[in-house]
Amino acid sequence: MSPDLAAVALAGVSLLFLGPLSGWLDRAAWVTRAPRSAVALWQAIGLAGGGAAVGAGLSVAVARYHSGLVGGVGDLVGSLVGGHPLEGMGLIDALGLTLAVDVGVVLLAVVAITMAGTIRARARHRRLLDLVGVGTDRVPGAVMLDDPRAAAYCLPGIRPRIVVSAGALRLLRSEELAAVVEHERGHAHERHGLVLLPLASMSGLLRRVPYAHRAPRAVAALLEMAADDHAARRHDPGALAAALVLMGTAGAVPTKGTAGAVPTKGTAGAVPTMGTAGAVPTMGTAGAVPTCAFAAASTAVPARVHRLLEPRRSSRPVAVVTFVAAMLAVAVPFVPFVAR
Amino acid sequence: MARLGELERKVMDVLWAAVGTELTVRQVAEELPRHAYTTVLTVLDRLERKDMVRRTKEGRAFRYAAAASREAYTAQLMHEALGAALDRDAVLVRFAETVTGAEAQVLRRALVGMEEQPRARAKRARTVKG
Repeated sequence: MSPDLAAVALAGVSLLFLGPLSGWLDRAAWVTRAPRSAVALWQAIGLAGGGAAVGAGLSVAVARYHSGLVGGVGDLVGSLVGGHPLEGMGLIDALGLTLAVDVGVVLLAVVAITMAGTIRARARHRRLLDLVGVGTDRVPGAVMLDDPRAAAYCLPGIRPRIVVSAGALRLLRSEELAAVVEHERGHAHERHGLVLLPLASMSGLLRRVPYAHRAPRAVAALLEMAADDHAARRHDPGALAAALVLMGTAGAVPTKGTAGAVPTKGTAGAVPTMGTAGAVPTMGTAGAVPTCAFAAASTAVPARVHRLLEPRRSSRPVAVVTFVAAMLAVAVPFVPFVAR
Repeated sequence: MARLGELERKVMDVLWAAVGTELTVRQVAEELPRHAYTTVLTVLDRLERKDMVRRTKEGRAFRYAAAASREAYTAQLMHEALGAALDRDAVLVRFAETVTGAEAQVLRRALVGMEEQPRARAKRARTVKG
């Protein structure tokens, strides 16, 4: 493929992947059926989109050698090694080269710096956690924070920490708590913190790139679903869904304060007493879960609840096709370099 | 390394227990009879470098105190744990973001529906039998 054609094609691929394609993936409903493969597809689109941008710049830079794309890259490297870089290079060629270097090196460096900041913040969090966190009989292997507000999270790292607050322990029944902790173990086991790290690090820097602000949020939601799946394989999905609702709507208030709005504990099968607080509407007729209302949500919680309550459909074909698509997407920027 | 971490914890516990009073190394070491004076000194130095402990000079000796209370540190961690609904920094992975307003109401109702299911099932079963 000629360098000129390659430059146009790669620039097109980059714009397509980082723009409309990421938007399409962001809106796709089927991704929830194969969250882990969908995460791979997100990563692949980002890698390929970024790689294509670098390749486009490189193609422009080597066009003047008239020795084809691969030969041109060879000539360019030769001129650099030979000590006469930029020799005979026009303005456009130099611009192309600069672009390739900028996108490839500068952005990676800036993202790396942001990532280092996040890693430092994690280390600081861990240091404090190891000083003030305490063990708890109810959840072996987890750390408890003595705070009345409900929270549960996984602090990523080489040795990840699973943390629950005293408020969460009070809020959840034991089977719900077990499901929550297993969910966090899923995060820890599958190293989700590592997946999120580069994505979250670029969101602040590349606000103009649609992919950069869609991917972190979409991938975070998919990783939550992957962890939900991990927990639902070992515990009752209903208990996990209930825990999600309780934890998601308990918010930052002490769990004691919301006691009226939380189903009473201990009496299995009893009708939950509803609080008189304005936050909770009077109970309507008991019936099906209003799934349609989950469609447009500002957080992933409603979609996750819906997913856990809905009868599980086989998602293996979706997962396989998605994963193959991810592998193909990564290969796209290399096509001009191998095509004749 | 893990042992050192454990010791840091013990030293902080001693300092936290001494609310308001600054302790000398010897006083801290007395509370930890199984550890040598020099070990305690090393740990206090480490904690000071990490800004967990502050020290003031009194005569020829240093006196140590926790830089913040246990509650303050816990609150700090919880602040990060609860954070904003949109986690841009990826420092930690939360179980559930905070859901508010109409969405929260829908979810609460869904929960009530879930809690009711066993009863509804039992009712249906009775109807079928009768």
